[in-house]
Amino acid sequence: MTDVHILGVGMTRFGRHPDSDASDLGAEALLEAIADAEIDARAVEAAYCGHVFQGMVTGQRILAQVGLAGLPLTNVENACSSGATAIREASLAIRAGEHDVVVAIGTEHLTSRFRGALTPDPSDPEAAVGATMPGVYAMRARRYMEEFGMTREQLALIPVKNKGNAARNPLAHFRTPITVEEVLESRPIADPLNLHDCSPVTDGAAAVVVMSDRAAGRFANGRTVRLAASALRSGSVDVEPTSMTFEPLTWATARDAYEKAGIGPDDIDLAEVHDCFSIAEVLRVEGLGLFEQGSYPTAVERGEADIGGRLPINPSGGLIGKGHPLGGTGVAQVVEVVRQLRGEVGDRQVEGAKVGVAHCRGGKAVGIEGAACTVQVLVR
Amino acid sequence: MLEVETAVSFRPGELEVDSSGAGHLLGSRCASCGAHFFPVRQACAGCLGTDLEAVRLSTTGTLYTFSIVRQSTPEFEVPYALGYVDFSEGVRIMGQISGCDLEDIWIGMQLSLSVEPFGEDEDGNQLSGYRFRPTEAGSGGGS
Repeated sequence: MTDVHILGVGMTRFGRHPDSDASDLGAEALLEAIADAEIDARAVEAAYCGHVFQGMVTGQRILAQVGLAGLPLTNVENACSSGATAIREASLAIRAGEHDVVVAIGTEHLTSRFRGALTPDPSDPEAAVGATMPGVYAMRARRYMEEFGMTREQLALIPVKNKGNAARNPLAHFRTPITVEEVLESRPIADPLNLHDCSPVTDGAAAVVVMSDRAAGRFANGRTVRLAASALRSGSVDVEPTSMTFEPLTWATARDAYEKAGIGPDDIDLAEVHDCFSIAEVLRVEGLGLFEQGSYPTAVERGEADIGGRLPINPSGGLIGKGHPLGGTGVAQVVEVVRQLRGEVGDRQVEGAKVGVAHCRGGKAVGIEGAACTVQVLVR
Repeated sequence: MLEVETAVSFRPGELEVDSSGAGHLLGSRCASCGAHFFPVRQACAGCLGTDLEAVRLSTTGTLYTFSIVRQSTPEFEVPYALGYVDFSEGVRIMGQISGCDLEDIWIGMQLSLSVEPFGEDEDGNQLSGYRFRPTEAGSGGGS
């Protein structure tokens, strides 16, 4: 079976785009990815488009803009993992031998679709009693504080780190570093989480070009990164209530990915993880086996997760700093890891990085720990 | 007011309300392995058995964790307390917490199901939903 390689990546600026829509943004990212791959657009054989709230046939609207209408195109919805799932589907099409050059796009124009706190689908019993995503993560934060003694100040160091990294990322939604005091004094959203603990409502898109061994040889551009694993799981139903301070879904998905890629947590040089809220970064890196359970808050305090630290987490700024256009997020994480492994990201470069991981998860439904989770392993 | 006579559950599949204004949350029990679920399921996540019976869940539980929600959707007036409550059948259910000050909520406290006014239907009729209230000492069942 062929390996899967990423030869081109593209990403719009993340932020507010009042004069564009999701297909404009997706088209911009896709054209950049094709140009970055240094291929003729006619080489593209199939496309997958991840989005959440952009309506029917968003992917087709993107292809129509860039002259590629007619390709097999699949729109993918998997909550915040939609874009990441589109990459996985693209990689499966390559591994199956069906196609040699496939594009995956993730896009979202969230400012025109959503305001304030994101909630589960209105049909969900938890949404009916007032569940909000910040509220759910706030409850996990409170439980984590109770079990592991994490302080509010320690938690605040995560947005401080991520918005600091975002200040070095020209494509990030937020470009201004913040302090612990600013986090603690920002508007309360769901105790103990404040506004700076939350990822913003963002517009943006990203795209990648993936290829088989054969196509990667033919189109070799010297900047190829191997997608060594692209694992996906959905959340399982609890038969007994389980801990909300550890993520079996993240761990199960990570285990699949590590096994496929033939690596372990110790081999990883950097990770982009789904920090939709400050506490989420804690749960993610511990669920990925990158830090022991209960240890991440002190590790952050010691600078271990900084660019230049033992294991940089979210050097792009993460969802909190770079922004979180739902469908765009999972693809943008992969774009960041690819650029890091190629050594293209200037003053936020993780020196000598050879192996990177992108972790994305999203969605909430009653009785399950999480809806969709992806872990992708990239190797240079 | 005719609240009792007009009490209509906001989600009849999940909350059963009787004429006295009391109620129960409805779940499933697997006839094969005994596992309980909320809400109602069509097959057991533990043993994959499909012989599931509808059951009324117990009405008192223990608060696992909570938050004070200060930004929500327009249907909900903020702030409100939101919590996850663990019940003896092995189910964890989310709900708002009422009947005490927001400062007096703590992990581990005992809470009881409380049927309360909870929004309106499309015609403006009052609906009954559920919240969890601190269990009064010595009240036992809480219903």
